[in-house]
Amino acid sequence: MTRTAVLICPGRGTYNKAELGYLHRHHADKAALLAGFDAQRLAAGQEELTALDGATRFSVSKYSRGDIASPLIYASTLADAQSLAKDIEIVAVTGNSMGWYTALAAAGALSAADGFKVVNTMGTLMQQQLIGGQLVYPFSGPDWQDNPRRRTELLTLAAELNARDGHDLALSIDLGGMLVLAGNEAGLTAFEAAVPVLDDRFPMRLANHAAFHTAMQAPVAAEGRSRLSAEMFTQPDVPLIDGRGQIWWPGATDNQALWDYTLGPQVVETYDFTRAVQNAACEFAPDLFIVTGPGTTLGGAVAQSLAQINWKGVAGKADFKVRQAEAPLLISMGDDVQRSSATG
Amino acid sequence: MDRAQIVHKNFLDRVNAADFPAGAAPSGPLAASEAVGIFHAQVLSRALDLTSRAMQKAGEGFYTIGSSGHEGMAAAARALRPTDMAFLHYRDAAFQIARAEQVPGQRIAWDMLLSFACSSEDPTSGGRHKVLGSRALMIPPQTSTIASHLPKAVGAAYSIGAAKRHQPEHQVMPEDAIVMCSFGDASANHSTAQGAINTAGWTSVQSTPLPLLFVCEDNGIGISVKTPNGWIEASMAQRPGIKYFKADGLDIYNAFAVAREAAEYVRTRKKPAFLHLRTVRLYGHAGADVPTTYLSKAEVEADEANDPLLHSVRLLNEAGALSPMEALKVYTDTCARVERIRAEAATRPHLKTAEDVAVSLVPPKRDCSPTNGPRLEERAAAFGSDMRAMEEPQPMSRLINWALTDLMLEHGEIVMMGEDVGRKGGVYGVSQKLQQRFGPDRVIDTLLDEQSILGLAIGMGHNGFVPIPEIQFLAYLHNAEDQLRGEAATLPFFSNGQFTNPMVLRIAGLGYQKGFGGHFHNDNSLAVLRDIPGIVIACPSDGAEAAMMMREAVRLAREEQRVVVFVEPIALYPMRDLYAAKDGGWMRIYPSPDRRIALGEAGVHGEGTDLAIVTYGNGRYLSTQAQAELAVRGVNARIVDLRWLAPLPEAALLDAVKGCRHVLIVDECRITGSQSEALMALFAEQGDAPTARVTARDCFIATGPAYGATLPSKDSIVEAALKLAGAKS
Repeated sequence: MTRTAVLICPGRGTYNKAELGYLHRHHADKAALLAGFDAQRLAAGQEELTALDGATRFSVSKYSRGDIASPLIYASTLADAQSLAKDIEIVAVTGNSMGWYTALAAAGALSAADGFKVVNTMGTLMQQQLIGGQLVYPFSGPDWQDNPRRRTELLTLAAELNARDGHDLALSIDLGGMLVLAGNEAGLTAFEAAVPVLDDRFPMRLANHAAFHTAMQAPVAAEGRSRLSAEMFTQPDVPLIDGRGQIWWPGATDNQALWDYTLGPQVVETYDFTRAVQNAACEFAPDLFIVTGPGTTLGGAVAQSLAQINWKGVAGKADFKVRQAEAPLLISMGDDVQRSSATG
Repeated sequence: MDRAQIVHKNFLDRVNAADFPAGAAPSGPLAASEAVGIFHAQVLSRALDLTSRAMQKAGEGFYTIGSSGHEGMAAAARALRPTDMAFLHYRDAAFQIARAEQVPGQRIAWDMLLSFACSSEDPTSGGRHKVLGSRALMIPPQTSTIASHLPKAVGAAYSIGAAKRHQPEHQVMPEDAIVMCSFGDASANHSTAQGAINTAGWTSVQSTPLPLLFVCEDNGIGISVKTPNGWIEASMAQRPGIKYFKADGLDIYNAFAVAREAAEYVRTRKKPAFLHLRTVRLYGHAGADVPTTYLSKAEVEADEANDPLLHSVRLLNEAGALSPMEALKVYTDTCARVERIRAEAATRPHLKTAEDVAVSLVPPKRDCSPTNGPRLEERAAAFGSDMRAMEEPQPMSRLINWALTDLMLEHGEIVMMGEDVGRKGGVYGVSQKLQQRFGPDRVIDTLLDEQSILGLAIGMGHNGFVPIPEIQFLAYLHNAEDQLRGEAATLPFFSNGQFTNPMVLRIAGLGYQKGFGGHFHNDNSLAVLRDIPGIVIACPSDGAEAAMMMREAVRLAREEQRVVVFVEPIALYPMRDLYAAKDGGWMRIYPSPDRRIALGEAGVHGEGTDLAIVTYGNGRYLSTQAQAELAVRGVNARIVDLRWLAPLPEAALLDAVKGCRHVLIVDECRITGSQSEALMALFAEQGDAPTARVTARDCFIATGPAYGATLPSKDSIVEAALKLAGAKS
């Protein structure tokens, strides 16, 4: 009997010190795939992925760069997606933020090489322009209780700050129980000054991240459209769920529209990862949600998104733990123990 | 095996065997990806039909009227924009599914399954009814009273042009939207449908913009009664002012092409069109209906052989858009997916208590921009010489007219409509000069059809207007009452407050016109209104109060989105005198525009404690005469005026009669079903004074000298009062 699964591709910030060597550890069998990526890097005058992944030393300042983190994450994710056990039937693919580019490739709407080109180009452009930054701040309670009122308060605050002269601040990503806000230095600093510190780490700035998914990225989107051809985009093989929760169906996808979205609204408008996960649940009701590697940090946002709609009786953190112990709903491939249940 | 399973098996077998029904080759502007998208919607609609039946058998679902055979409506959806308001036939799941693909982020399968399960999480009705509908998709939910959604579609279409000239604050549709309204071939025969189609043509030939697309889904049968061959085309193809289009709903390429052409015509010409779409009906009317009991097996099988999904697979293959095996995978994957979702949807919560169910009877309040009222110079220009007359007492008809003038000056979204309300100024002059003051597009002379008047109001209410329709006489409401009962009052309820149609419906009514008109101009029963949940009924008894209550009625409609029925006692319109000729005792000074009487606020006149006379409308006038006579007879009475007949202001009434030794109810309406029944019950259950009533007889009203014979009179009130309270001298 097959297990139906929705595949979720992570975004930036998931390839950290612990993930160094991920490709070597898990994907030594995919030399051809990785060689293709390396060739593109070399042609662009960039350091090869296998070299980056095989390095002995991890440096945050280097590995958090868009032109390094994005392709590493893409390659790790896509390779994970190609490593699933035979009894797993992927019924839909989604992703978070740059994970959308990976999702396109994992679903077959871009070839592996074209997906790499898109992610490497966009990651490089983001790094070159590095417009603004991002921070993360939670609105849900410790047991992940949804708190729409607090969410509204925070967004109202962000809008008020954004209205100030010289301040830019907007919702970048709806990320389960957390908001990712993006803006310029004035906007981010003002927000940090206006909210209480939680858990000694929030509001948390994300190093080397730009103001993704806001209007501030319009120049990056424009440059991306000029460099990346719509002809790369093809019909997906499995349904794709985008950062608005919209489903792109195999055969029914307008390739031009997919390109428009990917290099347009996707770049400059809020990415609603929460909605994407919730729609994946509601419209596909899979047995499993599989978050590919690298990293394990996206699992919390997935679980929180599901808890917000009380999916399969999971209404909070405690429920989720019980559920995971009994019959896991979520597998993070970045976790070695969980990985084995997805790779068979 | 039931027919649904037979159709299911036929599809699998015939696609596997590449055995398809014959038909035209694919042609027209439909792109491959869009055709496949339409097919996805068709398949999901079919899978949901199958699942709804399985859910009902399992006790998980409560609705089985399906869309099978009508899946071509998915193509019609793609020919429209998602901002085009759509009033849908109940077989249009495929339309809604296809439209959902046009609006990012929808969960259409989940939402539909929640509605089958009647879960409180159903985003349309909140678990109150299985209805198609969605706020995000601009699909107001419809009821099941046949064709009753057509009149409001006409109104909504009219509102688009009206909003261009007088933009309402809460406008819903963009200026270039059109309205779509679908129905079956059997429903097309309903007098309500005929009235609406006639109104659309009547409007169109006068070159009034009416961007409205009627879609008749002709499956050739209404439950068990066949539509005569060619009937729809014969009766609809030559309607004046309405362009006729015909398409094959079994052929998504043809349906899309023709629907697009029709939509383009409607959008660019701002004129109505009638799209006649051939469909088939598969597996009977609803789950419990077995079509072979009234159709031959051969007839049933002939429709099944024409399954539109089989036509689509053939067409997609011929167009090179999707192979039959790929199509089969879409079908089997979708069926499996829907089954998985069903398992979750069936676990979601339901409404439980009466409060849960009733909460959406009253729509949510909405924020309206504050206004300081019309400027002095605007008033002076509008009122002209009436400004001077305001210093003198005036009869009710004039004070209502002035209140309407002030309200229309203040709120540009108010629109009046009715028979003779414009040029003539109303049968009783209540709307005199309003058309001169505000133009014919805000004071609309309608054609002679009450359903169309209410439909116009309901439809305009959907698009942010505050309509004030008029029904010329209370007796004329009855042929249109479903527009209130089945439509206007239910919209917030079945949409969980997401769609509203606020209005103030003015009805001239009640008795006591001295010898004029007989029953049909003096009807004295409000029973048809009183039992409709959620609506407000107002009935003023003097001119000043009428003006202040009208202001509250408009506030309730505008800010609280309520449906208010404002019953104006005709006999009091011109009433000047109270006790004697020329005493001017029933005229009033026009109250300052900032004054209003709040909903639930009863009127108390006098301080007597021997007797409280609880009444309204003409009853207050007569009771005031009786009050004077009773005082002479040593009975000190007070008069308590209900003002608001629904919801009954119970707390205010109980408070108003507190300390009174007797309560006499004076009700000018017929005893059966009248206000007095509720009042007797109220005072019996919660009052402590002996209570009696004077009411009208259960009889129609006579023309001529006996006009008042069946009604309460001053004398009968005095007599009943003395009998109850006892004369002291």
